[in-house]
Amino acid sequence: MTFRRLLSTAGPVLGLLLVLGLIALYPEVRLVFFTGGNCKTILVQTAIVAVGALGMTLIIVSGGIDLSVGSMVALGSVVAARCLNAGWSTAGTVAATMILGGCVGCLNGGIIAGFRMLPFIVTLGTMGVLRGSAKWISGKQTVPNPENATLGRLLDPINPDQLMPLPPGVWASLGLAVLIAVLMRRTVFGRYLFAVGSNESAARLSGVRVAWVKLGVYTVAGLLFGFASLLQNARLSLGDPTAASGLELDIIAAVVIGGASLNGGTGSVSGSLLGALTMAVLRSGTQQIGWETYVQEIIIGLVIVFAVGLDKWRQSRGT
Amino acid sequence: MGHFSTVGGVKPLFAILSGLLLLGVTSAKEYTIAVIPKGTTHEFWKSIHAGAVKAEQELAAKGIVVKLFWKGPLREDDREQQIQVVENFTTRRVSGIVLAPLDSHALVNPVRSAVRAKIPVVVMDSDLKSDQYVSFVATDNFLGGQIAGEQLAKLLDGHGNVILLRYAVGSASTEAREAGFLDSLKKHPGIVLISADQYAGPTRETAYQASQNLLNRYGNQVNGIFCPAEPPTIAMAKALRDIGKAGGKVKMVGFDAGSQSVNDLKNGDVQALVVQNPVYMGYKAVLSLIEHLEGRKVEKRIDTGVKLVTQDNMEQTDIHELLHPPLRRYLKE
Repeated sequence: MTFRRLLSTAGPVLGLLLVLGLIALYPEVRLVFFTGGNCKTILVQTAIVAVGALGMTLIIVSGGIDLSVGSMVALGSVVAARCLNAGWSTAGTVAATMILGGCVGCLNGGIIAGFRMLPFIVTLGTMGVLRGSAKWISGKQTVPNPENATLGRLLDPINPDQLMPLPPGVWASLGLAVLIAVLMRRTVFGRYLFAVGSNESAARLSGVRVAWVKLGVYTVAGLLFGFASLLQNARLSLGDPTAASGLELDIIAAVVIGGASLNGGTGSVSGSLLGALTMAVLRSGTQQIGWETYVQEIIIGLVIVFAVGLDKWRQSRGT
Repeated sequence: MGHFSTVGGVKPLFAILSGLLLLGVTSAKEYTIAVIPKGTTHEFWKSIHAGAVKAEQELAAKGIVVKLFWKGPLREDDREQQIQVVENFTTRRVSGIVLAPLDSHALVNPVRSAVRAKIPVVVMDSDLKSDQYVSFVATDNFLGGQIAGEQLAKLLDGHGNVILLRYAVGSASTEAREAGFLDSLKKHPGIVLISADQYAGPTRETAYQASQNLLNRYGNQVNGIFCPAEPPTIAMAKALRDIGKAGGKVKMVGFDAGSQSVNDLKNGDVQALVVQNPVYMGYKAVLSLIEHLEGRKVEKRIDTGVKLVTQDNMEQTDIHELLHPPLRRYLKE
């Protein structure tokens, strides 16, 4: 019992340490990999997946899934670029894009809860709708931000040699992570969230308004996805309707590596962040060692299967 | 670590350690160079790679040791992944970067970061909206497009309906070819452009779909087609064969020399190819970067040339080498 508990909390940490150990085997990479500058690069590269994973953690813990994140991020990045080009202030653009994300999440949640439809199918549908809308609104091409748009500084590494100062986008992501962790662990909404995810009918019979919880989950996640799309825009300094295809799978992988179960009811913010970090470290490390891209794709695939296998093993021993 | 040096027996170890520390930062005649293509799946990039390896071998013969890293995104429209590759090589502290940016805007910030970290960048193939690079080594793509336009007009005797299947949005090199093509058509009032707003997309599959869709719509009217890159050239020729319009019924001018396009040219499904010299481009880009690192002055713009290839001249020695680049000699594959 205690060993299993230890494994479920320490699992993601062990995974990350394993990957770091692997990289440390290469002496010439070791010298540059464990430096402040490189840590900063990795944090910047993790930010988009990490913010997405915060929202996805809420959804997966509630027993749902969202496949439309990648398309939402593309749509949001285009809308943000359009707003900036229309002369909106940075604050206005940030607000508009996050509200757009919230509305899309609310729509997803509304259909899932209102019509009792499978989240997989509903979000598979909105994935197409949002991707198409992004191409439509962008006029089928990338929309460059205006020169020197302040939004672009969200993920600007400033001084690439040192860890500090971290770009504002990384700080904001950390802040959001704390906020979501508190929401999940310290509020009534959080308790309902785990209740719905563990056993929906039991939660309903105990008087939890399941439909409202789901609506809330997808809306809050949508706001986070809206923020992720701002980070994507800042990163490319343009709105790209084809960006982030397959991002949803990276995000789901991060959450699963972080110890969440796709059956719902388990998952944590810290785990998901570690999952996202593990993938970014793996990507950066294998590149610096000089391995081919396909090697890193195979390794990440294996890590996912391993993580889910571990989860299964924990559960089978638990009952 | 300094106190180690006082202990006699540990001295060699210290020397090795400090040597390792210096590796990749600076050393007199040893450079680590990252070459970052737009993608790795097209033959064009393999030729660039071969050229880079050729430069590496020649420099080694002169006593300048260069270690090449060859790394690109798997798909040619994955801006995020190419940015990550540039960033990781920046923190990896390579001596210099050769980059073929797959977007003229999106790669500006990562290049600025690299330059801030004192890593010089040579841009090749496609332009970047920045002036912080050492040199821009590329084909004159506008000229290449003009040559294609002139050839198509000649093939059609100055009269006919023409389609331009564009490549992808934001790709500066192909946009310049498209602009050059459209520019040359201005001199031929008998040529009518019936479609110039469709994009092939980055893969053969997307290009094939776009070609089929265009031919379904315009198949009975079109007399000539220009495709500004390898994937749409191959895909369009295939789509023309599907509907029985290949073999010269519809005149077709393509760009670049993938082995499939060369076959299509030989069989008469493609009438002309405008061909760049990617081996020389990869070779020249690495050489220019090394010259800059060795403290010599490098031209800000280096043109690597284009050639018009038709059935008549495809067996000439110099053209033959362009069409069949000696990849085996440089790449272990």
